[in-house]
Amino acid sequence: MTDATVEASNLSKSFGDKQVLQDMSFGVSPGDVIGVLGKNGAGKTTLLELMLGFTPPSAGAVRVFGHDSYSLPGDIKVRVGFVPQQDELLDQLTVGDQLRVIASFYPHWDSALIDRLCGEWGVNVHARIKSMSVGERQKLSILLAFGHKPELLILDEPVASLDPIARRQFLEQLLTISADGERSIVFSSHIVSDIERLANRIWILKEGRLDWQGDLDSLKESIVRLHIRSTAPELPAFKIPGVLNLRRDGAFATAVVRDWTPEAQETLEKNASVQIEVETLGLEEIFVELHR
Amino acid sequence: MKAVARLVWSYFTGTPVLRACTIGGLVLMIVDFYILMTQPHSGEKLWLAVMGLSFFFIGSALMPVMFGRLARSHAIGVLPGGRLKLLISMFVTILVVAIPVGALAPASFISGNSSVPEIMKDPRARDYVLQLTGITFTWVVLFASWMYLAMWFLTSQRNMAGLFKGLLVITLVIFAPAREVRDLTVTLSWNLQQIAVLWTVFGAGFLLWPRFKVARARRNRGLSNSLGRALAGKTMGREFDVLLGTSNPWLLTAALLLPLILATRFVGEFPAVWLFFLTIFSVVTGALSGQAGERSRALWLRGDWSRASLFAAVERSIWRQNFHVLGALMLFNIGIGVYAHFSATLLMTGVPLLVLGTLLSTYLGLMITRGLRWLEILSGIGVMLLLMFLAVFVAREDVELVTVFSLEFGLAGIAIALRFIARRRWTQIDWMMCRPDRALTARGA
Repeated sequence: MTDATVEASNLSKSFGDKQVLQDMSFGVSPGDVIGVLGKNGAGKTTLLELMLGFTPPSAGAVRVFGHDSYSLPGDIKVRVGFVPQQDELLDQLTVGDQLRVIASFYPHWDSALIDRLCGEWGVNVHARIKSMSVGERQKLSILLAFGHKPELLILDEPVASLDPIARRQFLEQLLTISADGERSIVFSSHIVSDIERLANRIWILKEGRLDWQGDLDSLKESIVRLHIRSTAPELPAFKIPGVLNLRRDGAFATAVVRDWTPEAQETLEKNASVQIEVETLGLEEIFVELHR
Repeated sequence: MKAVARLVWSYFTGTPVLRACTIGGLVLMIVDFYILMTQPHSGEKLWLAVMGLSFFFIGSALMPVMFGRLARSHAIGVLPGGRLKLLISMFVTILVVAIPVGALAPASFISGNSSVPEIMKDPRARDYVLQLTGITFTWVVLFASWMYLAMWFLTSQRNMAGLFKGLLVITLVIFAPAREVRDLTVTLSWNLQQIAVLWTVFGAGFLLWPRFKVARARRNRGLSNSLGRALAGKTMGREFDVLLGTSNPWLLTAALLLPLILATRFVGEFPAVWLFFLTIFSVVTGALSGQAGERSRALWLRGDWSRASLFAAVERSIWRQNFHVLGALMLFNIGIGVYAHFSATLLMTGVPLLVLGTLLSTYLGLMITRGLRWLEILSGIGVMLLLMFLAVFVAREDVELVTVFSLEFGLAGIAIALRFIARRRWTQIDWMMCRPDRALTARGA
């Protein structure tokens, strides 16, 4: 047995001829709050559903609490919570009924927590699901994943349909859940500010690969914008290691680079006789630059 | 008009397979029409046209699906004249499907009797041919309208209400126009009247539905909430069935029996027709298992089951529902049989047929773990044809019990094979490939 919540090694997934994920290896430890970023179709949902055993990997393996995710036993499943991208609610039931139905599958269901959250989030337990808005349905889906207090919570774009107030309440709740440092949360979102606020680790998916995995601070230190200035009227020719994007304009140039280090800066300044000013980027800018 | 034409074009050519069916069907019908018109006494060559017509009809299979999705989409509400154009496209499609039959029926008559110039010289024969064309064409329009309507209810509203409406439409088809064909009372004017009434009612309902829905939602909100409260707690102990959609077999029983009772009023005295429709209804019972794959996704993380043991649990749950419905159907079959003095042989062979109908459709449904593909479609069509053939065959007076039971044993063998395939598929079920089609469950028509 291992202490890691999730471990994946050389994970690949394809649907027919289409390779969605390629050779991914990663780990999730207790206390990790991982934000998964990627363009539409980057494979975020596939990755999350592979971790939950909804779909088999084409190669490699994912282990959740030490068990192969494709054949998770019941005692492991009760430690996992999931909010799908598209809700799986039963239209004909009321909110209360739906909560009771799902609660019955778990030995430990925190009714008090759910009652409290229903009140705080303005979820009417007597309302029929059929008559609820998309945002209200999303709130209910989140509640259904919280009730058994999972040790691993996986959320696939959970805030996409929520209004700003509900989003804030939801994020606060996630922060509360993650505060004990024993639970792991993996969530995907297109709202980069939410990921920046909540996540302590970032996964960036690009073309089916984990283009970046690490903590947010390292990411911000690694991918930076350089403002390069020459004392001569024209910038000399030079090569920047790890350049993602370079724009020259006379004696000036702007470059976005990855894996930037003070040593690299020193070498470049010396070899090209230029002055370099380093600008730290926000997560959204980093994401955009990585996908240019 | 451009939008309507584009829609109709898409219905017939939306996918490569449907395009091939449409073109193939048209070619076959044109070839057959040419043969019929140029070679005298060639009525037996009609099989080519029947094949062509079948392909052409299959070619339009996208119509009920697209119609259902568009009708339920929010986009149709903001497109200029969206609902009206959609409605017209459906009507035009039906007319297009009916045209070949309207043309081939008189062609077949002419080729079987005389040549075209001779027929045209005789006013009585000419009138007869024209009337035959009109009656055939309008009858097909009427029949196709009902059938598409039933298909729309059954496929787009994948719930009990849709099932009930679909079966009710099938029942109405038994009464009109199928009954008229049997009684030889069909006339052109009566067909036209029926088409006018059907399309006026359906068209008005379809166009006014958004307004009706808003009014109904306003009126029923209180009722809906109190109903919700009344039903609360009734799911206790049957949560698995609730998620799978098998928790209320009585609702399904009622949805099946009500149209059946109506059908009995029309066809109760004809054993073959009676058993034929009862068999179709028994198939519907099992066919609901087709949603089990996608619904089981919500169960995967909520219990101590592997994929194989989940299949076993799903199978048990479905059969709990089937037993209720099947029991009611069998009792109904026996009751009507005794009341209408059907032969003991018919009852003896009819009951296993109902069980087989449910058995086969249940496992055909459970086989659907990656959407509908050719194997499922062909197996479904094959099984339905076999069951329909057997239902009619069993009702023959000179039927031999040994033959019937042999055929029924054959079907039981097929059911075992289907179960084997279904179970094997479930042990590898991939819920990313087997998930509810949100377009079908999208709220608001």
